[in-house]
Amino acid sequence: MTESNETILSLQHLQKTFGQHQVLRDISLNIKKGEIATIIGPSGGGKSTTLRCINLLEEPTAGEIHFHGENVLEQNYNRNIYRAKVGMVFQQFDLFENKNVLANCMVGQELVLKRSKDEARKIALANLEKVGMEQYINARPSQLSGGQQQRVAIARAISMDPEILLFDEPTSALDPEMVGEVLSVMKNLATTGLTMIIVTHEMAFAKEISDKMFFISDGVIAEQGNPDQLFNHPQNEKTAKFLSNFQNN
Amino acid sequence: MKSRNKWITALITVMLSFIITSNFGITQVDAKKDDGELKVAMEANYQPYNWTQTTDKNGAVPIEGSRTYANGYDVKIAKIIGKQLHRKVVVVKTEWDGLLPALTSGKADLIIAGMSPTAERAKAINFTKPYRNSTFVVITKVNSKYANAKTLNDFKGAKLTAQQGTSHYALIKQLKGAKRQPAMRDFAAMRQSLISGTIDGYIAEDTESTSFKMVDPDIKAIPISKMAGFRISKEDSTTAIGIAKPNKDLLKQVNQVLATIPNSERTKLMTTAISQQPKTDETSKKGKQDPWLVSVWKQFGGMILSGIGMTLLLASVGTIAGFFIGLFVGIIRTIPTPTSRGKRWFSKFINWLLSVYIEVFRGTPMMVQAAVIYYGIAQFWHINIDRTLAALVIVSINTGAYLAEIIRGGIISTPEGQFEAASALGMTHNQRMWHIILPQAIKNCLPSITNEFIVNIKDTSVLSIISVSELFFVGTTIASQTFKFFPTYLTISAIYLILTFTITRIFNLIEKHLQGNKNYNLMANQVQVGTAQDMEAKK
Repeated sequence: MTESNETILSLQHLQKTFGQHQVLRDISLNIKKGEIATIIGPSGGGKSTTLRCINLLEEPTAGEIHFHGENVLEQNYNRNIYRAKVGMVFQQFDLFENKNVLANCMVGQELVLKRSKDEARKIALANLEKVGMEQYINARPSQLSGGQQQRVAIARAISMDPEILLFDEPTSALDPEMVGEVLSVMKNLATTGLTMIIVTHEMAFAKEISDKMFFISDGVIAEQGNPDQLFNHPQNEKTAKFLSNFQNN
Repeated sequence: MKSRNKWITALITVMLSFIITSNFGITQVDAKKDDGELKVAMEANYQPYNWTQTTDKNGAVPIEGSRTYANGYDVKIAKIIGKQLHRKVVVVKTEWDGLLPALTSGKADLIIAGMSPTAERAKAINFTKPYRNSTFVVITKVNSKYANAKTLNDFKGAKLTAQQGTSHYALIKQLKGAKRQPAMRDFAAMRQSLISGTIDGYIAEDTESTSFKMVDPDIKAIPISKMAGFRISKEDSTTAIGIAKPNKDLLKQVNQVLATIPNSERTKLMTTAISQQPKTDETSKKGKQDPWLVSVWKQFGGMILSGIGMTLLLASVGTIAGFFIGLFVGIIRTIPTPTSRGKRWFSKFINWLLSVYIEVFRGTPMMVQAAVIYYGIAQFWHINIDRTLAALVIVSINTGAYLAEIIRGGIISTPEGQFEAASALGMTHNQRMWHIILPQAIKNCLPSITNEFIVNIKDTSVLSIISVSELFFVGTTIASQTFKFFPTYLTISAIYLILTFTITRIFNLIEKHLQGNKNYNLMANQVQVGTAQDMEAKK
């Protein structure tokens, strides 16, 4: 995996409060270009909220998000351009129900990146081929299985040529037999040098793919390091306890 | 916040209606002096004074905004006046309750409608000298137990009524012991009630009994004007022509014309009018009879078709225009609250304005809206809008108010994930709306939009208040002229049913089309590439 030393994304003391409930207390992390980072941790610990804050689907209550050194929370920062560069794959796929597979992968390119129809189509087809969905370009999302939908969602995201791709538990809503096809697409993607941040419960997958892992619990990063450090030499009691659940399986 | 909004809305509605009603009869429209036309308001449904016919025979004059004609005693008087003033007579067909507003709002120059110059009406408009003296009768069936009444007390226990808003209704009080029934809208309704036995009789002028007898010989008129103890003021026993108060010149001119018509001439005119009344084929043609439906079709087919056309026009234009209004309002109401302070206040204000619009038009009957808008605009701004145009506008904004909420609901109920996925791609609010959310929301709203269309086809019948000649209005006219109430309304309902049924089917097809084909053919795709990579990805 190619790594440079350039920090592409940096979260600094991020906080998020929903009403009285503080979900994120203090999240700070750095992602370098080309890094594959996974975020693990117990449910309700703040993993997904962290990811959603990065994409600005949630407005952070406090803290800063730096993209290429610029604070994206500044008033004048162009958020739509930023979002186009930071792609997202959702747990529930969220393909556009009114559009077929091909149009799902083209609409963002045409509207946001202002690519021509032909160019958008070419890129969409190439990416659909990458995820093995090129045969289904005329299908409606509702006609596809969960695994197929998620693969189209990935093609939709990478068609935007993002600098970072966020995955919010991409396999949690899938039937077990479909998890493999999505994970293998993600593994292929990881070899292309794309920066990825993945929230997942697939520990074996995380262990295999990650350059860096973050264990988030109770709204803070309890521990971080490479897979070997977290799985084999956890420093924090919570990390050890959490991971032991998976290793016993 | 929500409940306060509703309070303010309610308050505004009440204030608005108060202002409009309190100004009725105070503000006046200047008479248009030389437009060449003499607009005369009448029901065109009150034989022998006035009625509607489909041709211009016997010197009938055209009814404004339709292809029908009016004739009768009132029309003959109007023509004499028109001739002397060198103005062409045009009839403005208006329901009884709409006559005074039509005059004060400038929709008509004169009311010649068999109207008595009561003191109460004289507060709002001026009256000429009488153009006819009338005697009163109780109309009952020949075989009724009240048919031989000789004194006012002989009507004890009789269920009697009279036309709503007329002086006749008050006369029932003088018939001791009679049971006064609710007043009825028009003579057609009273005739039907008498025949069906829901009332024992009704008070009317002698002319009404003469014309009624021509179609139904089994009725009897009992004169009450000369019975001992019967009191009636001079105003109530005469009919006069109504003119708007500021129109003093016209009043003088019309009085001069009336003075030139001697009593003998008036009687002759009335006799002629009675003989010219429209009759059903059964009474006019002896021997061979067409089936009822065929004869009605021959006589009124054109009217029915144009009624259907008008109903469809109102419903479809209303629904389509209402859809765009609703879309516009629905979109604006779902724009997320802006972050900057000034913009936030502005958007709050706009939202408040739109919710007032929705509450007012959803919360008041369309019939009332029609009356307020059609007569109100003429009264306040002196703009005389065409009644069809007014009807189209009213149906559109009314439908818009309903559809605004339906479309807002459709937008809100689109899954949150669709918004988020679009945002994550970097789309702006407008791009999200137009390309992702609205296509789905509208598809989901389609059943409700169909429903609104169906409702419009039926509910446009209330626009008869401003005399738009849609299907129901045509039906009423036919019923009151043929006196075949049940078959007429049955036919009209069958037509409504066919219209709504057809439209429901059409919309179902559209829905199905939007749903898309459930099956898709892999082989029909443009690109066929089964690569090794594809196989690997599927493993």
